[in-house]
Amino acid sequence: MFQFDDAPVPVRDDIGAAYGREWAYLAAPGASLSSAERIEVAGRTRTDEATSLPDAVDSLVDRLARDPGSVSESHVRAAVDDSNEPTVVEVIGIVCRVSAVDSFHKALGVPLPPLPDPRAGHPTGEIAEGLKRRRTHIPVGPGPIPNTLDLVPAEGRALEAIHGPQYMTYDEMDDDRFAREPGLNRAQMELISSRTSLHNQCFY
Amino acid sequence: MLRASSLAFGYDLDVRAVGDRTVDPGVPGGVAILDFVDALLLRDDADHERRVLQDQVGSEGLVDASGVFANFQMMNRLAEGTGIPVPGAVIDREADLIEALGLHSILKN
Repeated sequence: MFQFDDAPVPVRDDIGAAYGREWAYLAAPGASLSSAERIEVAGRTRTDEATSLPDAVDSLVDRLARDPGSVSESHVRAAVDDSNEPTVVEVIGIVCRVSAVDSFHKALGVPLPPLPDPRAGHPTGEIAEGLKRRRTHIPVGPGPIPNTLDLVPAEGRALEAIHGPQYMTYDEMDDDRFAREPGLNRAQMELISSRTSLHNQCFY
Repeated sequence: MLRASSLAFGYDLDVRAVGDRTVDPGVPGGVAILDFVDALLLRDDADHERRVLQDQVGSEGLVDASGVFANFQMMNRLAEGTGIPVPGAVIDREADLIEALGLHSILKN
């Protein structure tokens, strides 16, 4: 569990617990990448230091971390051509979640947490079959955006695990009058999401 | 979702505020919320905006705001990385929003 001793305000336990689980998952071997490669990708979201991954994959990580609105299909497909679709899905998932953890720390004005040490083991090979591209850059599951990492199910589960504490669970999103009490109500939350997305040049 | 939730809470939302900082959004704490996001994404130092936001929405609200900001830093990257298309029905439904915020260029990417 993450501790936020330096934070200017008390942080909910569910956030600290979710980030603790995320760091443990990040440190473990993935479906396609070794744990050391996963930590390299995580580090690349923070620095200009290139990874040992193929050039197009490394470039995608850099672009997605620092200028997400500039990512296009050609960037993603070049990364796939240089590796494979499960690797690219795993990379996207890692960049997304590390960006979230780091953004939370930045928002509270506290130092970024050190990345975890990689754990021993081999990639799990847990990769879904039968998915297809649906006018998307990668094969995805049917349905809304949370299903877009379904090719590597563990990546989708990891994203969902921090989505709820940070924002709302997928079920809570059905409620326009959702509110944390004390805290923000949904209208205030959506103002943050809208402005953030505009800055990132993302319609979502 | 911003408009639906604002309606649900009875706020007089002016959606132009998302793109035009001279417009008051009409949501409680809205100006401080937008200042906070802008400081986080445009500057290295958000200390002042963090304190102002905390004064307006409380300590728990500041944590919530930080969480939502983090979540959309994540979800924006997910959308761009996977290339999930914006459904045509959404574009039709949000046509006035797209116009008000000048989002045509984003949709073309």
